[in-house]
Amino acid sequence: MKHFSVILSVILVLLSCQKEKIITGNNVSETFYVENSGASMRVLVEGNTASKTILLFVHGGPGSSAYFYNTDYISEHIEDKYAVAYWDQRNAGASQGNSNAAYFDLPVMTGDLEKVIQVLKHRYGKDVGIFLIAHSFGGMLTTSFVTKGDNQNLIKGWIICSASHNYPLNDNLSRDALMLYAEQEIASGRNVDKWQEILDFINDLQPGTLSLEEADKLNSYATDAEAYFPEVNPFPMMDIIKANAVKQNYAIVSTFLNLKYSQNADIQDELRTYDFSDALTTVNIPVLTLYGRYDFVCPPALGEDVLQRISSADKFSYILPNSGHIGMYQDQEIFCGRVNEFVEQFK
Amino acid sequence: MNTVKPIVFAFFFFICGQVSLAQRDTVESSGEKSASSLKLSYNSSFIYPGVRAGIEMPFKKIYITKTKKTGRQKFIRKDHYVSANVSWYHHPSFHDNVYITAGYTLRQTGGGGFFGEFSPELGYSRTFLGGTTYQVSGDGTVSVKRMAGYNYALVSLGGGLGYDFSMRYATPIAICYKLNLLTMFPYNNTVYIRPAMELGIIYKPKRFLMFTAKVKRINKNKFRG
Repeated sequence: MKHFSVILSVILVLLSCQKEKIITGNNVSETFYVENSGASMRVLVEGNTASKTILLFVHGGPGSSAYFYNTDYISEHIEDKYAVAYWDQRNAGASQGNSNAAYFDLPVMTGDLEKVIQVLKHRYGKDVGIFLIAHSFGGMLTTSFVTKGDNQNLIKGWIICSASHNYPLNDNLSRDALMLYAEQEIASGRNVDKWQEILDFINDLQPGTLSLEEADKLNSYATDAEAYFPEVNPFPMMDIIKANAVKQNYAIVSTFLNLKYSQNADIQDELRTYDFSDALTTVNIPVLTLYGRYDFVCPPALGEDVLQRISSADKFSYILPNSGHIGMYQDQEIFCGRVNEFVEQFK
Repeated sequence: MNTVKPIVFAFFFFICGQVSLAQRDTVESSGEKSASSLKLSYNSSFIYPGVRAGIEMPFKKIYITKTKKTGRQKFIRKDHYVSANVSWYHHPSFHDNVYITAGYTLRQTGGGGFFGEFSPELGYSRTFLGGTTYQVSGDGTVSVKRMAGYNYALVSLGGGLGYDFSMRYATPIAICYKLNLLTMFPYNNTVYIRPAMELGIIYKPKRFLMFTAKVKRINKNKFRG
């Protein structure tokens, strides 16, 4: 009997973490999981759930994490007005599962996003207004979502920050932007050796769709290139991890191992040819694009392609002057200001 | 050919030397009824709490007494155990992990009571996700999934240090500090690795779950007096 009560107590302690608790308030922090096709995906909701407005971050990668968007600045300048949902996609961050490689593709992930939104509406009310904030690969995922069926009816607006919707176009625009700046910088005598290396690599590329290996190399040069401009604010990822890992209970090893797996998974090759440009004409919800002036990974011209093709009456575009690829951090003041204006107008 | 001869001679003299040294060593083997030990530890993943409880069942003991050239004696005890453990840790908003393991422990204790140990273990892990878990059906109905979590195979490698009070005093207690490296799989098509630190106490009762352990007593004598 004594042993039975000990076992019962342990089970009750374990299950108490899984009991449904929904808090409505202006300073909420709660984690829940959404299960779909072999993955349990972490969703952290923070901020003002009483506002009935939720901004859902759709992170990059695939395989990165939403942990890194949850900065003090966003907490103080967005979460005070609205709730922010930080969603770790499958095989990313603190999301968990067993063998689910068969489900690691864009159509399944599009279904994941739909289910995350349905769960947010289940928890916080059918009348809750949801805005998507897409970053990097999150652009591909959100484009797949908004151009599918009547999914646009589930959200109030779409914010695209340094994101992609068309990888072949993305590769061409990265090449063009790097080449343009390489020629300018070499002519000005700044970082000549580094820019010359980039220029030589680009000149050796054949026209047409890049192989995965070539695209990875281009991405690596594009990531490095923003650091060659003194006006670009740095993105100190390690400092963010150090500051928040304990405070936010990061699942650090899981995040790292998920990233390593995802970077080498078949999905990377499958994504090479995804092109949603033509499908964008069906989009009629309010759209805000924010691109870093020095973003060579997802150049600002990608945002121009989005705005030219969508049918939305309400569309806005801003260039973040001191940003590379992580505009929500590198120009956090402008980012939060523009996002708040947009959400306030269309919530 | 000229180079082979010296090697053959050197090998011959080495063997002769070993045989003459070994002649002064004595080895006795026997069986001995031995009690099992109980272990209770704080099982922390650095900052996250947990508990670990286990039992250590002895199956082999080796007592080595080394007598040095000066006549001074040094005592070493090597205990071999089969161990079984149940462990838990809590990582808020990530998961709770309950895992059971069975393994082998080799503990080498010096005459003063300090010991080092090494223990590979195999086991089973059941995680419980750190938040309410939802499922959405095809028609959009949202439901809560009870007992949400995953089953994993688990391999653990551990090494630690400790002090056995029973070597010098009549206290049947030892304290230990151990670092275990847990590997769980398949975790998102790959593995999950997690370090876990144990700070615990081992209770060695005189009579509890007795097993007959093989006992070997080895005397290594270099004393020429």
